[in-house]
Amino acid sequence: MYIERVRSEEATRREFLARALATGLAATVAGALPTARALVAPEAARAQDPGFDAATLQAFYDTIIPGRKVTTTSLGAPVHPKAILGVDDRPGAVEADALALGNHPLIGFAYLAPAFLADLELRAAAAGGSDFLSLDWDGREAACRSGFAFDNPLRLTWEAAGAVPFVAFCAAGMIPEQTAEKAVGYRVMGLPGRVSAGYADASYRRRLSRERTKTGNLP
Amino acid sequence: MSERVDVLIAGSGFGGAIAAYRLSELYRAADQDPKAVLVLERGPRMQHTDFAQSMHVEHLSKVYELVQGQGAQFVTATGVGGGSNLYLAASLRAPRETFERRDRKPGDGPDRRIWPAAISRQTLDPYYARVEAALRVQRPTWSQVSRSGGLFAATLDAQGHTCDRVPLAISAKRCVDAKWCHTGCIHGAKNTVNTNYLASAEAAGVRVRPLRRVESVRQSSARPYRYIVTVSVMDPVSKQATGSEEIECKALILATGAMNDAPILLRSRNDLPALSEQVGRHLGGNGDHVAAIEYDPKRVRDVLGLPGYGAFHKGKPITTMTYDFWVGRRSNRYDGTRFTLQEIFLSSLTNFLYDDGRAPSGEPSFWGRQKKDAIANWSNRIELLAMVEDTMDGTFLSASPTGGGAVPLGSGPVSFGTFSYAQSDQSIKVREAADRAMARIASHRGLGRFMKLTETRGIYAAHPLGGLRMAESPELGAASPEGRIHGYEGLFAFGSSIIPTSLGVNPSLTIAAVAERCAEQLIASAGDLGLPTAPAGFRHGVPREIIGERVETPGRPRPPRRRRRRRRRRTGRRSRTA
Repeated sequence: MYIERVRSEEATRREFLARALATGLAATVAGALPTARALVAPEAARAQDPGFDAATLQAFYDTIIPGRKVTTTSLGAPVHPKAILGVDDRPGAVEADALALGNHPLIGFAYLAPAFLADLELRAAAAGGSDFLSLDWDGREAACRSGFAFDNPLRLTWEAAGAVPFVAFCAAGMIPEQTAEKAVGYRVMGLPGRVSAGYADASYRRRLSRERTKTGNLP
Repeated sequence: MSERVDVLIAGSGFGGAIAAYRLSELYRAADQDPKAVLVLERGPRMQHTDFAQSMHVEHLSKVYELVQGQGAQFVTATGVGGGSNLYLAASLRAPRETFERRDRKPGDGPDRRIWPAAISRQTLDPYYARVEAALRVQRPTWSQVSRSGGLFAATLDAQGHTCDRVPLAISAKRCVDAKWCHTGCIHGAKNTVNTNYLASAEAAGVRVRPLRRVESVRQSSARPYRYIVTVSVMDPVSKQATGSEEIECKALILATGAMNDAPILLRSRNDLPALSEQVGRHLGGNGDHVAAIEYDPKRVRDVLGLPGYGAFHKGKPITTMTYDFWVGRRSNRYDGTRFTLQEIFLSSLTNFLYDDGRAPSGEPSFWGRQKKDAIANWSNRIELLAMVEDTMDGTFLSASPTGGGAVPLGSGPVSFGTFSYAQSDQSIKVREAADRAMARIASHRGLGRFMKLTETRGIYAAHPLGGLRMAESPELGAASPEGRIHGYEGLFAFGSSIIPTSLGVNPSLTIAAVAERCAEQLIASAGDLGLPTAPAGFRHGVPREIIGERVETPGRPRPPRRRRRRRRRRTGRRSRTA
């Protein structure tokens, strides 16, 4: 997986830190990493399951935009059996291929993912005493509530992580066809997607308010 | 030896395209070849047919840049045509009060009018008219107002407010109301500068060179050449520099946008030591403050008498707005309390920004189970853009080593900005006032739920302004009222970076009008810079409309010209009979 590759490549991490430095994140990121490494549970799980980070990210995306339980995504990628809790019976962000989007080189989230995962696990341990993937809904929600708190020094990294499922679901970021038929997010939203013919019924076709100006511009 | 041109224009959006077109007129009138004017654009050239109704990550990467800094997110455009490719074409004149503003953040100089004395609504009106003619601005009829815009108008009307139709630079003939302006119009219906100013400049002989990013500027001693500009040659896919060029010019016009102009000069400060200390300050987002209303379709029918809604995805992206929170607010005082409210469709993605609007309130607000319910009712939503009187609170901390004011995170659309944005008390309070007004409007007679921006405590803006603001003196601004960079002859900034305040309306028309004024001043003194002198009787014209290849509407073939004429005659006879 892309993220694992990034994790193992020290040069890439140096690049990440250099980029983070530009926004003043470096100190907080560097501070979070050793703390997170000390967390035994996720490290043990990671050792046993090479897809652990991917599953954890899927679980996070399911907390942001929850969805129905599925075994594969819209694009056919596998979904970890513990990732989706199924608290919503409509398609969610995992089904909309949020993981693939987060791993996409154009998004660049892979640079941030190690720091984000470290902070997520730290907060999961505090919220529920286990790794994030093993938490129930309340535990996952509590960990995320704490991560998105404005006093979290890594808030910006969390914002980046939180944006991924929205791009996947609400913008169908991984779906080339961009139609409701293909994009589960569009389907849930009631957005038909691309429509080159446009809409003949786009207007109520009647005057609906008094107007202050004659031209649309104030003097 | 470096390449030499008369005028180098960095950037091909409104400021750059207007400079290019007006200079092409000058060169033609003086019987000289406009190819001595060169426009550089960091992004690729895209035809209408290269755009897509798509938010797929690859398309977003081609057309957008999302710059995340400390305290603010800015959305900007890349590609020949700049911001005009992605703008939503609302083309409004800024109200008189905007130019008279005196409100400012603490420490920002003495009590004064923030705009230069030479610029007022009255003095800018002729330039506004010039731009409206070039961009073919038209006010939509009520039959062209989108359902979302109409619903906002009806909601305001039910509460005794006024609501106006917004003039648009959109061709009513070519527009199919698909609401995909935000990723580039495939139908050529949106009047970008690629269909008028820039196309006409190129037709006259001005050269436009895409995939060239201006990095830095230093002075030349080979008069009449004044500046040597270092330029990176960009790869369109990786967005990495693949080579470097130097171009020497008599005059340099920066028009790369507010996110890039100031960083270019900051990076060049060692070679341009007389630059104002104001370079890089007063970066703003035009007072943008977004929120949303989710309507109850039953209440829409019962209270407003409209046949339901569920049509957020249909129509033009901006059609109506209210000035009721701008007008009548102690117009003789400048306390930064005014705002306008506009119905807008930014994209399906801005969903990300809002509270779910459901009980219980509080966190989680923009994510989680309640948010999922809100997402599932997305089509019953409208988005609102408050444009408030804020104090342009951003400052570039430094210039990134290369490029604009941001460090790219990979080759995609996301970058980290090298700026900080700490809102002043005024900026916070006026946004809170806008929230209260929108919440009141939303909840009137149970029409809907207010969805407040909760994803960030900073600002989210699509209209970056400033960084090189205009002022009479270098102590108060980086550029003169004519767009001349203080301290340097022949160095100009024409675009969004010189705008000194938020405007209360979408900024493109004002950026363009100010650029027209700057171009006129440049042409009046062109001879002093070693450029052609305008002959007696020289007058500015209107750029031609050149649409180019576009996607024709499937199922709606245009009838042949002869048949259309017959149909018009027939229609005319019928109406006379009636």
